[in-house]
Amino acid sequence: MQPEGPIAPFSLSIKDLPWQIAWDKDKCTLCGRCTAACPVNAIELGVFRQRQVAPAVGILEAPANEYKLYYGIRQKTDPAYACVGCAMCNMVCPNDAIIPMHGDEIDKLRMHNNRGGQARRRGGRRNDPGSLLDQIKFIRISMLTDPALDAGRHEFELRTLLGRVLPPEQNLKFMAENGWTPPVREIYPLMIGGMSFGALSPNMWEGLQMGVAYLNEELGMPVRMCTGEGGCPPRLLRSRFLKYVILQIASGYFGWDEIIHALPEMKEDPCAIEIKYGQGAKPGDGGLLMWYKVNKLIAAIRGVPEGVSLPSPPTHQTQYSIEESVAKMIQSMYMAWGFRVPVYPKISASTTSLAVLNNLTRNPYAGALAIDGEDGGTGAAYNVSMNHMGHPIASNIRDCYLNLTKVGMQNEIPIIAGGGVGKTGNMAANAAALIMLGASAVQVGKYIMQAAAGCLGSESDRCNICNIGLCPKGITSQDPRLYRRLDVDQVAERVVDVFLAFDTELRKILAPLGRSTSLPIGMSDALGIASKEAADRLQINYVV
Amino acid sequence: MSSDANQEQSVFHIISGQDNGERIESRVLEEKIQEAVANGERSLKILAFGQHGIGGRLWKAGDEKVHIRVEGPPGQRLGSLGFDNTTIEVDGPASDDTGWLNAGAEIIVQGNAGNGTCNGMAQGAVRVAGNIGARGMTMTKSNPRFAPPELWVLGSVGDYFGEFMAGGIAVICGVNPQTPGNVLGYRPFVGMVGGKAFFRGPHGGYSQGDAKLEPIGDADWQWLTENVPVFLQRIQREELMGELTDRTQWQMIVARSPHEKKTRRTRPMAAFHQDVWDQELGRGGIIGDLSDQDRSQIPVVTTGDLRRFVPVWENRKYAAPCEASCPSGIPVQERWRLVREGKMDEAVDLALSYTPFPATVCGYLCPNLCMSSCTRQSAFMVPVNIRGLGQASVKAAIGEMPPLSGRKVAVVGGGPAGISVAWQLRRSGHEATVYDTSALLGGKIASAIPSSRIPEDVVSAELERVRKVIPHVHLQQDVQQDDIVQLCEDYDFVVLATGAQKPRVVPVPGKERLITALDFLTDAKVGRARVGKRVVIIGAGNVGCDVATEAHRLGAEDITLIDIQEPLSFGKEREEAEKVGAKFRFPCFTKEITEKGVVLQDGELLPAETVFISIGDAPDLSFIPEDIATEQGFVVVNEHFQTTDSRVFAIGDMVKPGLLTDAIGAGRKAAAAITEMLEGRRPVSDTRQMIDKRRISLEYFDPRILDYDDIDHCGSQCSSCGSCRDCGICVAVCPNSAISRAETPEGGYEYVVDAERCIGCGFCAGACPCGIWDLVENTPL
Repeated sequence: MQPEGPIAPFSLSIKDLPWQIAWDKDKCTLCGRCTAACPVNAIELGVFRQRQVAPAVGILEAPANEYKLYYGIRQKTDPAYACVGCAMCNMVCPNDAIIPMHGDEIDKLRMHNNRGGQARRRGGRRNDPGSLLDQIKFIRISMLTDPALDAGRHEFELRTLLGRVLPPEQNLKFMAENGWTPPVREIYPLMIGGMSFGALSPNMWEGLQMGVAYLNEELGMPVRMCTGEGGCPPRLLRSRFLKYVILQIASGYFGWDEIIHALPEMKEDPCAIEIKYGQGAKPGDGGLLMWYKVNKLIAAIRGVPEGVSLPSPPTHQTQYSIEESVAKMIQSMYMAWGFRVPVYPKISASTTSLAVLNNLTRNPYAGALAIDGEDGGTGAAYNVSMNHMGHPIASNIRDCYLNLTKVGMQNEIPIIAGGGVGKTGNMAANAAALIMLGASAVQVGKYIMQAAAGCLGSESDRCNICNIGLCPKGITSQDPRLYRRLDVDQVAERVVDVFLAFDTELRKILAPLGRSTSLPIGMSDALGIASKEAADRLQINYVV
Repeated sequence: MSSDANQEQSVFHIISGQDNGERIESRVLEEKIQEAVANGERSLKILAFGQHGIGGRLWKAGDEKVHIRVEGPPGQRLGSLGFDNTTIEVDGPASDDTGWLNAGAEIIVQGNAGNGTCNGMAQGAVRVAGNIGARGMTMTKSNPRFAPPELWVLGSVGDYFGEFMAGGIAVICGVNPQTPGNVLGYRPFVGMVGGKAFFRGPHGGYSQGDAKLEPIGDADWQWLTENVPVFLQRIQREELMGELTDRTQWQMIVARSPHEKKTRRTRPMAAFHQDVWDQELGRGGIIGDLSDQDRSQIPVVTTGDLRRFVPVWENRKYAAPCEASCPSGIPVQERWRLVREGKMDEAVDLALSYTPFPATVCGYLCPNLCMSSCTRQSAFMVPVNIRGLGQASVKAAIGEMPPLSGRKVAVVGGGPAGISVAWQLRRSGHEATVYDTSALLGGKIASAIPSSRIPEDVVSAELERVRKVIPHVHLQQDVQQDDIVQLCEDYDFVVLATGAQKPRVVPVPGKERLITALDFLTDAKVGRARVGKRVVIIGAGNVGCDVATEAHRLGAEDITLIDIQEPLSFGKEREEAEKVGAKFRFPCFTKEITEKGVVLQDGELLPAETVFISIGDAPDLSFIPEDIATEQGFVVVNEHFQTTDSRVFAIGDMVKPGLLTDAIGAGRKAAAAITEMLEGRRPVSDTRQMIDKRRISLEYFDPRILDYDDIDHCGSQCSSCGSCRDCGICVAVCPNSAISRAETPEGGYEYVVDAERCIGCGFCAGACPCGIWDLVENTPL
């Protein structure tokens, strides 16, 4: 750093950066841990020269110039090394001498992180701290009216149905005519949404899967987890744990030949197949697993050579309409497991959701519709997609549910809601709100990353480097030096903690409604909000 | 009804629950009972007719015992809020909530009791001769001021028994139970926090998180055996005594303590991992078949192979800016290092490896590009001054030359380029003979540099040093194409270095009146030149400035330099010209030269007796064989200065006009290439890049130094960019003592990192004054 050098338009001061390192010279012991831990090399040891001019009282002689040197931690201002605010420096500092502080104004870096004409890409979330779901209150609390239940005392078995649920008489007719009825699974209403092996580190992914297995086998909670697109490890495909897994197929079709090859050796059917057409964080955009993340392991699971970038295009290349998607993919996926496994599509929340749903109502194979709202998280996306594209989940779910009630099929096609559930930490309240707006189940990803593995992201552009393989917690990195920071057992334990606590909170909300087994899907008279506009839009109570 | 019914009739005060065949309200019955007790009645028989709350709240009797006998069906909450002076006996079954909030009464039910028996009971006892309904013994308390409450049930209890039980003792005897397969009912003891329950018979599970089975200790057994007879006596079933005192048939459930509840999780995750997960998937879990990578946990700050970044000691990997920008390639920072080490002679002599003219060029004639690029400049600090060290190099000693290899090279042209290539070839052991038309070697250095720019004795001393080494053939006539062909036959290689000897002129009328700068400077040097009082010099570059200075020395008084653009002259030459009063004018376009002077395009006359032209010199390529390519008047060469004839090299101004140091550098590079080729190797170039100046820490130096006292002072202020100063700062600054200094077998030193101590913090790189240390990504695992 040469303060005398020329400046360029992209020369930034520390003030221009979103995060500023506050370093305390008095406390620092110069142990080097902060610079060793910084994921983006935003800080370094600096040599500082300090001048003291000591004029003599009386000015009898010329003042002396005295220089002294000291070492300290210096923050780099090159945009390529801008601090991301993860605070790993603070975490490893033995003396609390260093901490990143968020700037007090909109940073200038955002105007400069497009070097070479490359629009900014990042991981993480939408960086919008607001949450409509948080504003929804549960206003129906029965004490002496409905059979009020005690969340702590009563027996609860909160389950939801995944798969096409035909009315009894239709079911009989269907069976008589077709010799087959659509498969239905009874599962826990909180699902772990699709995060791929590849986007997540091996330790993270295995920790999640193991936590899910524990919940199922030790605690009797039928929690399910979606693989995301990236295949499924061969051993898992051939294990009994496969029944806790929802296999995802998406536009890159990665890992599917390995899944197909494993078919004859599967001990169990998977829970379901999710066909991904879109995700909430980057609607209309695809994914790209960069070549440097495609190591031997990822390559083996995805069925590709090492060290090549893996694109998942925004669309399925050979499918041009809803009809085609439904006809081709859903049916083919059913065929793979002898029509024993529910298949459902997942889309980004959008004004087109209704059209998709209407189509699915006419297709007896459609097992559900998963809708991912704008607040969904991701491992990598263009900034603009993440921040500005997509539809809020609440009204989209509500529209879909009300549409189903209009055609009398609200109990037949489950709607799965995702995107921003628990974004501010209120996972159970958000999930319950979505259920009462009409969702049969809720998918969650970000919250799990934060709760199970300590993801440092927040809604203030903190960290957000999931896309470059440098995750300081080892969640989204394929580098053993990083992902070994994460312990598989600890992740699994946290998954268990999260689901147990969620279950308790969900009971606290549902017990006063007198619900202990069947979910209050669409029970919107229990919801209120202090915004007239939102109340009208969602057709729930306006309460002030 | 017992046999002595008549006797009882006479003892009990009877209150009927009916009035004229009509059931009276619970309130009225309660008033009657309270009134009777207030009136001193202590034995009451209530002929109940479904009234609620019978027998509670009889405090008006004080410490005196009250005995309530209930005949007929009591309603709910029998004995609720009961006092410890009260005994209630029901001659048949009881309804719901018997003993609700009981605070001391003994309630004996000679039949079954309904739901909610003992709910909220805190003291007293409820003894049931049959079974009870659901939610018995719920929310019971145990107040340390009193004995704990007791519930005795002869048969079995209904579902949800003991919910939130916080104290008291329940005894379920399991005699003729209503539910023989499960005497505790469905889901008992949820939320239990205190108390205990003795039971006989099978159970169908209980809240494991809240309660636990415990062996019955001697004290508990003693309590039980003392109290079973009391219960049997109250319910008149003493014949069961033997059956109920078989210790082996009893079990006991107690509440878990708060501490125990926290650890209720069934199986530790590590055990699940090993016994369930890996058992099903195989060793290594989901990817154990695909990878043998160790995935166990590591800390954030690591050492050895697990470091994300590792320091590397890149001593001399990069060229210092001074060295990189010196066309002659002199490693200036190395000379300063020798100075710092007190090896002044070596510092001086080192230059001769790179240039035959360290004093003439570095000390006087060079614009010193090394100083312009000095890292110190980037921080407004005065660059280390090479001039003094350059001038001292006049005394540099040649040392012993290597024996001759027998390989021979002909060099055509004895200027700085030619001397340089011959000098370097000789130093490599090859004989290089210089052919030149001049009697003395030196080219323009000897013939055309004004003596004001450099003392004569310096030039002659350095030329003398050259002459000792390089054979010189004095040609009497200009070289021709045939001569070159002949030289090619006679020598292994030929190097062309005849410079730019052909002055350029402007094609204007009267151009024959012009005196070329080269002619003038050469003549002036040997005292043959004459000038008028007024002089115009066309072309105001550095050579023009030399002309101006020399013209002044020879008597010119009014000197004007004109140029078609802002003059490119700079440095010492420009200063000297300005010092003698030369005027610079531009843009001026010459139309004509007359005897009066220079006429410009706009008609202005610049009066002059002498007009010089100094717009550069062009090489004379007439003697170049035709198979050597030229382009726009210059010889075409590759990076090694090799022409299109692979055995002929061309250097200096023949290739591209440049500074003396450019010519010297070209000679050195050409010599290196020839040497390589003579030894049968492909020539290689120095591919070292200049060090990134940002790696240097100038903060270690005093920025207020404007001038240097002497050569030693200069040496001390050199930041030694890219070359280790051996200061040991890295050793001192490393927080983990991972760096140490090691002697190399060759007698040198290096700084080495102990990987097992290093955490990859990069402090060494941050602190190094010279930019030697770098922090690079560790090899991927």
